[in-house]
Amino acid sequence: MSEIKSKSKTEELKESAYEKAPPPKKNIGKMVVTLIVSCIILFWAFSGAKFDVKELVLNGVKPFSDTVERMYPPDFHKIVDEKHYSVPATLTPLELMLPLPLDADKNKQKTIWWNNQFPQTILGSMIQTIQMALAGTTIALFFAFPLSFLAARNTSPHPYVYTSIKSVLSLFRTLPDLAVGLVFVSAVGLGPFAGTLALAFGTTTIITKLLSEAIENIDEGVVEALKATGANYMQVLSFAVVPQILPPLISIWLYRFETNIRAASVLGLIGAGGMGYLLNNAFRTFAYREASAMILILIVLVISVDTMSARLRKMAT
Amino acid sequence: MSEYLFSVKDLKKSYDGNNFILKGINLDIKAGEFIGVLGLSGAGKSTFLRCINRLIDATSGEIIFKKSFLTGIASDTQEIDINKIKGADLRLLRRKIGMVFQQFNIVKRLSVIDNVLSGSLGYQGTLRGTFRMFSLEDKKIALANLERVGLLDQAYKRADALSGGQQQRVAIARTLMQKPALILADEPVASLDPKLSREVLSILQKVCKEDGISALVSLHTLELTKLYSDRIIGFQGGEITFDGTAEELNTDEIEKVYARVK
Repeated sequence: MSEIKSKSKTEELKESAYEKAPPPKKNIGKMVVTLIVSCIILFWAFSGAKFDVKELVLNGVKPFSDTVERMYPPDFHKIVDEKHYSVPATLTPLELMLPLPLDADKNKQKTIWWNNQFPQTILGSMIQTIQMALAGTTIALFFAFPLSFLAARNTSPHPYVYTSIKSVLSLFRTLPDLAVGLVFVSAVGLGPFAGTLALAFGTTTIITKLLSEAIENIDEGVVEALKATGANYMQVLSFAVVPQILPPLISIWLYRFETNIRAASVLGLIGAGGMGYLLNNAFRTFAYREASAMILILIVLVISVDTMSARLRKMAT
Repeated sequence: MSEYLFSVKDLKKSYDGNNFILKGINLDIKAGEFIGVLGLSGAGKSTFLRCINRLIDATSGEIIFKKSFLTGIASDTQEIDINKIKGADLRLLRRKIGMVFQQFNIVKRLSVIDNVLSGSLGYQGTLRGTFRMFSLEDKKIALANLERVGLLDQAYKRADALSGGQQQRVAIARTLMQKPALILADEPVASLDPKLSREVLSILQKVCKEDGISALVSLHTLELTKLYSDRIIGFQGGEITFDGTAEELNTDEIEKVYARVK
């Protein structure tokens, strides 16, 4: 009995249903053409890039492993040895570290040390990298926050405003950080200020883009409800939009902070402050073991910022 | 002129110029009436309700209020067509008309009391409203309105910690902050179970009766409509096909309202 029952109505219908609604036929010819065209384009790309596996394996491995060998073991003495910090003899470590009342002469020496000597050390440049990233990202947020409301389709006061801001921003986004950095270096001189401005500039365009997309994704029902109470534009933004974009805003900010730590260390290459300057110097003077120590420090720094921001992000949402 | 709150004359709405969602609505609404709006999905109920507070702009026709509705000054008896007002006047109109939505549309990440206070934004200055600086008086009123919907004990919780029925009651308290003369409710109980539906509708009806607020409530169940409405309006294909009391809504009339447009 039970065997007969197990033959269900579905079983009965399946053949005729398949005939009534057969799956659409695949266009094999189109697929083949697409495949061939993609292959040609990729071949063109690889040949233009002078991609050569033979060259890499036969002649590339040796120099590569040599470089790696020369970097090992990492040399940390520049970080640990006190002499690399050239601490002024007249100042005690306590006087240097703490904001104590000092006489004018000592104060001057202290300022010089903090502004000139310390950032030249590995530890100092690392701290400067963090400071640049933090300051640059915050300045960027300050500008990006109001801009993103104008650049989001649903909150922009006029379609023209929305379109023009969007296009200006995507134009600026195409500028590489290093190019922007060079412009700011020529404007305000070498140093972390130029680097920070370059970071702030690039980050503003990206945060505005991400934040305006977050604004476009909000629940419009709440906006409608707030409009229906007679609230004006600013009030609707404050009540219906801002609470909804707060979690993405925090996570965007943290993400850009992470990215900017990496970017800040590159900006040193053009003399715009941060660790890149020291790293570049180490490579140019063939101090590979010092360079590898710096790279390790950078890796630890980036990983710890990553972990920390992941935790903060979880708390925020 | 009788005690009408507003009257709608030949109201039409089309999004593309050809298909009319509303095909000439004529209606007089008296002050204090609790009106159930019946009709199939797509019959034009939501569009009609949103035309009244201008969340949607009608294509043609008039919606006539007395000027006193906006100004609150009883001697302003001249008639205005709200399809023609703009800017600050439009916000004056909207703050006298509360709206309740199917999806509640409260701000989930804000506290319950902040949500209720947001109903008073039409009465606040831009700065005070934007930075959520509400006066002690406003906060007291908000708490009183929460008590009226039975949620005083939830005032300082985050809105998304509340159940669906409670969230809709928060939305009702929010409209009460507007000191409305009219409440529009667009399928207010469509996402609630039958028990909560009755609870929410009872509260809505109670506050409307207590304050003499008129209400236009679109509902999709006949039973609830008959139970709560003083007057029932049936929409079908963008036209009003029934206008009367629950007793007058017999089987024939129901068939007409729910007939598919051929």
